[in-house]
Amino acid sequence: MPHATGRASQQIALLLAKHGEELARHIRRILRDDDAAQDVLQDTMLRAHRALPALGALANHRAWLYRVATNIALNAVRSRTRERAALERHAAEHELAVEPHADGHDEARRATLWAQVARLPERQRLALTLRIADELDYEEIARRLGGTVAAARANVYQATKRLKMEVRDP
Amino acid sequence: MTETAVRERQAVERIVLEAFGALTGRRGEPLRYAMMDDTPVGVLGLAAGERGLRHLSFVRDEDDFLGRLLAEHGDVPVLRSAALDPVRRALDAYFAARRFDFGVAVDLSGVPPFHRRVLNATARIPAGRVATYTQIAVRAGSPRASRAAGNALHNNPVAIIVPCHRVLRTDGSLGGYGGGLPVKEWLLEHEGARPRTL
Repeated sequence: MPHATGRASQQIALLLAKHGEELARHIRRILRDDDAAQDVLQDTMLRAHRALPALGALANHRAWLYRVATNIALNAVRSRTRERAALERHAAEHELAVEPHADGHDEARRATLWAQVARLPERQRLALTLRIADELDYEEIARRLGGTVAAARANVYQATKRLKMEVRDP
Repeated sequence: MTETAVRERQAVERIVLEAFGALTGRRGEPLRYAMMDDTPVGVLGLAAGERGLRHLSFVRDEDDFLGRLLAEHGDVPVLRSAALDPVRRALDAYFAARRFDFGVAVDLSGVPPFHRRVLNATARIPAGRVATYTQIAVRAGSPRASRAAGNALHNNPVAIIVPCHRVLRTDGSLGGYGGGLPVKEWLLEHEGARPRTL
């Protein structure tokens, strides 16, 4: 992510210095996940920075920041739930494709697959997640994660390939 | 503090520091700060790095202090933190006249060498006693530099704990003070040292 520069950077630094710790604690308690909390805090700060011209008139930045942070955190919880469901769907389809004689041990296989997804290199894991859970096209994935469309496509491809291989040959 | 609370604070701080790096480019050892809003000498801002207290300043309010910190420390993250609670408690005890020694580590590494010598000499004046600018210049190893010593004291980044208020003019008059002369007078009376003509 490119740094905000000059005045923008100063404003964000000020907000982070004053409210960062309490907001991070609040967000972390909602999400119970430090990586996700990091994203939410950064989103909150960027949104605050964009809103600053209007926020200037507000007496209470703190209340505003809390409200925004809570909303973004709750959205993250919801999309995490969705993402989990979609990945499980994906996994199920996947297993059917590679293992036509699916037996009754769905749950155990699902857990294995989950562990494998978690072990994917970050770029691949994120690209796969955006593709499957958010159903984004490659252009949008490239925009969100940075990098080229071709790289986004390659990451999704590699992730899928790796999962298939590991499902076949754990 | 419980272990869980410590772990939570570390995790929370990592999240904030990561955001500082990503959004503002500020990285490295953070400066932690805290405010004391109603002391007998007004609003105080405190800031510390890993090696000790680097600022104790008389300020208008939090935004004033924070603006100065961010300007003076342009590359590092700055964050409000409960890590300074022990320093605040030591200052509370001082203002309640329960104890005049702070037991707080002070980090003067950001101060030029002569100024540091002056401040170190000043730190050795006990509560209830005073010294003159000239005496401090002598103790800092530059007997003729009393004006420069005054300058160093005027720029003391850690007021009260490095007790520059205990340094007076040779004629016993107060000289100057960053927090204002009434504050200097209050501190000296509080410690039982009355400015008098030598």
